[in-house]
Amino acid sequence: MPFVHPAVDTYLGLSGYVYGWVIFVISLSLFGFVIYQRYQILDAAQPDPRFSSVVRRVRDLITYGFIQKRQPRYLWAGVLHLMIFWGFIVLGLRSVDLVMQGLGLPLLRPVMDGGFGRVYGILKDAFELIVLFACIWAILRRALVRPDRYEGSHKGEAHLVLGLISFLMITDMVYEGSGLLMVKESGAWLPASRTAAFFLREASVQTLATIHNLSYWLHILTFFFFLNFLPLGKHFHIITALPNIFFKKLTKGSIKPARWGVENIEDVETLGIEKFEDFTWKQMLDFFTCTECGRCSDMCPANAVGRPLSPKMITLKLRDYGYERYPVFGTSRKTNEKNKNARIVGDVITPEEIWSCTTCGACEEECPVFIEYIDKIIDMRRHLIETSRNPKTFNQVLMHFEKTGNPFGKPAAKRADWVRELGDVPVRILEEGDEVDVLFFVDSFGSYDPAVQAIASNIARGLQMAGVDFGILGPLEVDSGHQVRRMGEEGLFQFLVETNVETFKNIRFNRIVTTDPHAFNTLQKDYPITYEVQHYVPFFLSLLESGRLKPSKPVEQDIYTYHDPCYLGRHNDIYDAPRRLLRSLPGLKLVEMDRSRDRSFCCGGGDIILWHEIEQEEMRMAAKRITMAGEAGANTIVTACPFCMIHFEDAIKTGGLEKEMRVVDLMALFLSTL
Amino acid sequence: MKIAVCVKRVPLTQEVDLEIDAGGKDVRKGMLAYVINEWDNYAIEEAVLLKENFEGDVTAVTIGGEDDEEVLRRCLAMGADRAIRVDPGTLELDALALSRILSEVIKGLHCDLILTGVQADDMNEGSVGIMLAEHLGLAHAAVVTGVEPEATGATVRVELEGGMDEVTKVSFPAVLSIQTGINEPRYVSIMGVRKAAKKELKVVKVEDLGLTDADLSMKTMVEEIFLPPETEGAQILEGDPGTVADEILRIIKEKGVDV
Repeated sequence: MPFVHPAVDTYLGLSGYVYGWVIFVISLSLFGFVIYQRYQILDAAQPDPRFSSVVRRVRDLITYGFIQKRQPRYLWAGVLHLMIFWGFIVLGLRSVDLVMQGLGLPLLRPVMDGGFGRVYGILKDAFELIVLFACIWAILRRALVRPDRYEGSHKGEAHLVLGLISFLMITDMVYEGSGLLMVKESGAWLPASRTAAFFLREASVQTLATIHNLSYWLHILTFFFFLNFLPLGKHFHIITALPNIFFKKLTKGSIKPARWGVENIEDVETLGIEKFEDFTWKQMLDFFTCTECGRCSDMCPANAVGRPLSPKMITLKLRDYGYERYPVFGTSRKTNEKNKNARIVGDVITPEEIWSCTTCGACEEECPVFIEYIDKIIDMRRHLIETSRNPKTFNQVLMHFEKTGNPFGKPAAKRADWVRELGDVPVRILEEGDEVDVLFFVDSFGSYDPAVQAIASNIARGLQMAGVDFGILGPLEVDSGHQVRRMGEEGLFQFLVETNVETFKNIRFNRIVTTDPHAFNTLQKDYPITYEVQHYVPFFLSLLESGRLKPSKPVEQDIYTYHDPCYLGRHNDIYDAPRRLLRSLPGLKLVEMDRSRDRSFCCGGGDIILWHEIEQEEMRMAAKRITMAGEAGANTIVTACPFCMIHFEDAIKTGGLEKEMRVVDLMALFLSTL
Repeated sequence: MKIAVCVKRVPLTQEVDLEIDAGGKDVRKGMLAYVINEWDNYAIEEAVLLKENFEGDVTAVTIGGEDDEEVLRRCLAMGADRAIRVDPGTLELDALALSRILSEVIKGLHCDLILTGVQADDMNEGSVGIMLAEHLGLAHAAVVTGVEPEATGATVRVELEGGMDEVTKVSFPAVLSIQTGINEPRYVSIMGVRKAAKKELKVVKVEDLGLTDADLSMKTMVEEIFLPPETEGAQILEGDPGTVADEILRIIKEKGVDV
């Protein structure tokens, strides 16, 4: 720079460098201290192995951390965020340069004064305008549009930070602009600095010098204030979001074990979350990282029907609790009066919130920084179960699971009775030592519930028509445990797993095909087995594509829409297989609902809702979903999950919509065309 | 307050098509799943609640083989402090003999309160509690739906025939037969049950109780067990739900119900 740097000046008899160093040392010490205090929380937390598959993690970090693929799911908010984020990336170098100049360590000057510096100067100038523009837009958007999803967020903090960022941009513009005027330099295209210079064009040299120095020091002070402000609130995400994305969960749909690194869960003192330190370090990092954007709650179906659940508020409440327990200043880990006797599970987070979740995964699919909710909810349920605070309606159901292997308390001996209805379709009931190609895992609802038996029967018919060598386990099968695990009864889940795994070992088969997406997900993700597991949809698609089954009869002349079941779609990314199967059916007209594929709206779920009524509910999720199907112009909703079917049938009946809408399982529809 | 609770393990039968065994004096039990008797579940919950609310000490007692220890471990997990299993060996026992054995074990515990279920889900005799009180020479209240302990006794709510309730005061020690619905029994997780294995579970052999052969001899014996013969008079309504509902309504009206 041809003009004298502000740090060279003396202020109150002391060199600017002294001020530079004082600000630098105090700020960084304070920052280091605050980060150390936050680290204490991670240190007190439970283990979680998140260091595997580094290549995939780096790739995802680039996709979701730097390219921020999830941001534009909310288009304008996403665009704004991308502008500011990339501004930060570009302007980071500029800030380091400015700080180092103030310390009398102009290490970056050789680079900045060279060819790179000229290009960078233009780039940073352009980004200063972009960021300033984005901040103003964001402030106006928050003030005028006021999206609902910010309800409960720290809106004041959002405005303060947008203000601080804008101020950083303006001070640098003014600093550079006044500098340009002082040396009467013209040449480089510096849109931001020239804008500032335009406003300062009438100022005297003396005034310009003052403005130049003032804007520099204000910039430096704001920068360090901002840095120290970050870890105190939701803008901690500026530091923690990238690590949080790097350490994201790689197996969607699975549930974490009761405690990582513990071989025998009996060795764990209490299952689930009793105290704050029972969360894993990654779950703590989630609390640090939440940006309070509210996309999770905006997408949450429980929230949409008025249940007392907002994923965002779960994170916020737990973060507040944790920060009170581990205050930045003061070493005691006491909490304030209000929270002194508050139990995390029960008071801070109420049982109603915990049971309202359908584990549909909409929140996790939406979160731009990959905060996980389901594992936390299940961990909290585990504690409710351990302390006998579960809904009483579970007692008998869980007892039935344990004693009879199904939730109905029906005898295991009757597990294969449904095949009698099939008449001439032979279904092999496997015994120990048998060999078969496809092991058809029917699960409890398929075995005992009349409505779901129909789906199982259709699958059996289809398998027989395709000439597949298949068999069922009948009385040897016990429930997959999907529901049991998600109800929080981990010990019972392990018991069911052991029983089924033992049975699998004694039968030779090539793959497992399931009736239900939940069983498919659980067998694949929650079981310690390596067999190939398929839901019936991809399996029948392969039969179709290999020519073993040929749909020929036209379907009824309806307008069809496909409802993505959570455990087939979101948790397992199977979106195209069912649609390809549908498009193969002669004469089928398919329309898409607004919320389809990874934004599918849960039907109500296949677990808690079956045995526990959430009273605080404006309408059934299934009823809301039926409305969405109608809005898409459909009069037939196709699904591939028994529970979706049960809930939709119920919603159609209770809503008196039999004339406008019907629900059909994909298997039944497919079979009708063969 | 020292409390003893008598519990029993019974087969889960509500969804089962019961079959009579070859001897014709019992049902086939091979495939049946076993659980704690429902009434006893309420009794143990009541004992644990009393302990939690008023301090005390709970002992669960059962008569049976090793398999029956499962219900004792459940009781321990629910909050009982210790458990006793009386092993009858190969002895066959009726309600009278069972109550005699229980009285012998419970006598030594010096309890203020002894709880049983009103009846057991398998034989539905409903007599062990009453006979136990008789053997111990204690006051007894049957079909109890509420217990409020006081200094030396308790106010007890009892369900009578015809939908009436009675409130009685009993002085300790006393035997109460607990009715379902008196509380909401808690769920204990599988892990909870397994962890309860650390609590004391004592096994007593019936021959060590000092009972005579006469005490243990059966006074009632099963002659025959049979399924009730199918009778006439059932009518199956067919058609869509609407028609069936109309038909049911018509029949109910026809039979003289005012709807």
